[in-house]
Amino acid sequence: MSIVVKNLQFTYSANSPYETRALKDVNLTINEGDFLGIVGHTGSGKSTFIQHLNGLIRVQEGEIEVFDIKLTNAKKPKPDLRKLRSHVGMVFQYPEYQLFEETVYKDVAFGPKNLGLSQEEINDRVKEAIELVGLDYEKYKDRAPFELSGGQKRRVAIAGIIAMKPKVLILDEPTAGLDPSGKEQILSLIKNLKEKCSPTIIVISHDIDEITRFANRLVVFNDGKVAFDEPMKELFKHQQELVEMGLDIPLAIKIANELKAKGIKLGENIVTMSDLLREIVIAYNKKNGTNIDVSKIRKSVFNFDFSNSNQEEVFKDE
Amino acid sequence: MSAIELKNVSFSYVLSETEIVRAVRNVSLEIEEGSFVAIVGHNGSGKSTLAKLLNGLLIPDKGTVKVFGIDTKEKSTIYEVRKNVGMVFQNPDNQMVASIIEDDIAFGPENLGVKREEIVERVDWALSQVGMLEHKKGTPFKLSGGQKQRLAIAGIIAMKPKVLVLDESTAMLDPQGRAEVMRVAHELNKKEGMTVICITHYMEEALEADRLIVMSDGKVVLDNIPKLVFAQSKELLDYKLTVPLATQAAIELENLGISVGKDVMNKEELVERLCPLL
Repeated sequence: MSIVVKNLQFTYSANSPYETRALKDVNLTINEGDFLGIVGHTGSGKSTFIQHLNGLIRVQEGEIEVFDIKLTNAKKPKPDLRKLRSHVGMVFQYPEYQLFEETVYKDVAFGPKNLGLSQEEINDRVKEAIELVGLDYEKYKDRAPFELSGGQKRRVAIAGIIAMKPKVLILDEPTAGLDPSGKEQILSLIKNLKEKCSPTIIVISHDIDEITRFANRLVVFNDGKVAFDEPMKELFKHQQELVEMGLDIPLAIKIANELKAKGIKLGENIVTMSDLLREIVIAYNKKNGTNIDVSKIRKSVFNFDFSNSNQEEVFKDE
Repeated sequence: MSAIELKNVSFSYVLSETEIVRAVRNVSLEIEEGSFVAIVGHNGSGKSTLAKLLNGLLIPDKGTVKVFGIDTKEKSTIYEVRKNVGMVFQNPDNQMVASIIEDDIAFGPENLGVKREEIVERVDWALSQVGMLEHKKGTPFKLSGGQKQRLAIAGIIAMKPKVLVLDESTAMLDPQGRAEVMRVAHELNKKEGMTVICITHYMEEALEADRLIVMSDGKVVLDNIPKLVFAQSKELLDYKLTVPLATQAAIELENLGISVGKDVMNKEELVERLCPLL
């Protein structure tokens, strides 16, 4: 188990007219290898929650265990925050706004330097991180971050986090504000990072069609509490409740619902667009006596298919 | 009548002596008064630069931009241009100037020298247009992103512009906030006859426009009604764009030999086409 959260509560501006209870008794266990999606509308407490996980917000009530580090409201013993932050890497919304160094190299090196590593180790990590996010090390290391495109800046910002080799990587709205191809690049980067860098990944997203493409577990925050915590495919059993909370459900489910309402029989377990297409093909074959092969359905229905090509190459095209 | 007319407009950013970014290259366009126009394009395609050219925040290096016949190059009439073309930007937190909502909305008309009584009227009108009248005496800092952006729109329309430009105004919002902002924009277009130019990365938002302009590498590459633009899915892919998710599904079904037509734009159309086939 990577992270265990017990009875976590948090109140902003306590004892003032602006008092807001952001978290009300949150319990959650995050396991090693989870590809966890967190959804919830604005103000549901999800950002407050993740800021606890690397000690940006001090625990007021309840407790959190991150690997072997305990976070409580006790003044002593002080938790080893440096160690905590090397374990849990956090990529904020619009992380490119936080680039500040003169060169890409220095910016990515900032984190590892603060971990007190040797110069050689820092060099290795910076090089590895920059290449991992799909940028050519030699070409970009001496560039000023401000000369880069929006998508490139975001990748440099992510490189700065993964250079610390976190065991858990948290990304808050990682695709916000990017164009469709930029979004696809970041999504395939995240998948790549799960394999090559951080085995546990937590992503906050408002885009339910996007998050269902990669998360294997979904946690829904509502009114400061964990409303649902389900394997990705199971969550939408609660679709009625999700809609009542003002959350979106995947388009594939909406289409399946409408088809079913018109008397068309489709299989269960439709969540993603690929699921829907599979069931449509099966129903079509049955009715028309055709033999269309479901395995011919492409995983990514129509997008910038990076899967066949070397990812580094695709990025370098920019 | 055309609200905005661009003739052979070019604009470059000079980064250093050797580096020049040609953001907009020889663009000619006419935006009809009362229309709802969406502009899409990849990051760096020049669409935000184009937006800033529309109200004289940027002046073209070559060519002319005319707003209701007034050239944005003319310094003496630039306020006339800015009064007519209001802009709402991406980040809701960067567009607030006062700590009380009604003061924030009054800021624009005050600077235009509007009389006090009329300002009071305009503040109420603008806030009710965006459905925020009840928050008049409140503070903007406690609002949601969608509410803040609606407030930013109110602050702009209180100046009674004829054209509203939304430069990725929904990019930082959650789905609910996005829907609120788009609803307000469409209402202003339909009820008040305001010309709306909406720059966006969301293909679903672009679908709702009367006209869709696609930009790539500083040029206008497609310009038509959304349905016909999205029918050119191969070209869109080359321009690093995509089509609405329902259209993606239809394209894949076509590829598999299930003919629903590639011109499906939304879930209603997809369901309608699928029903007789299943």
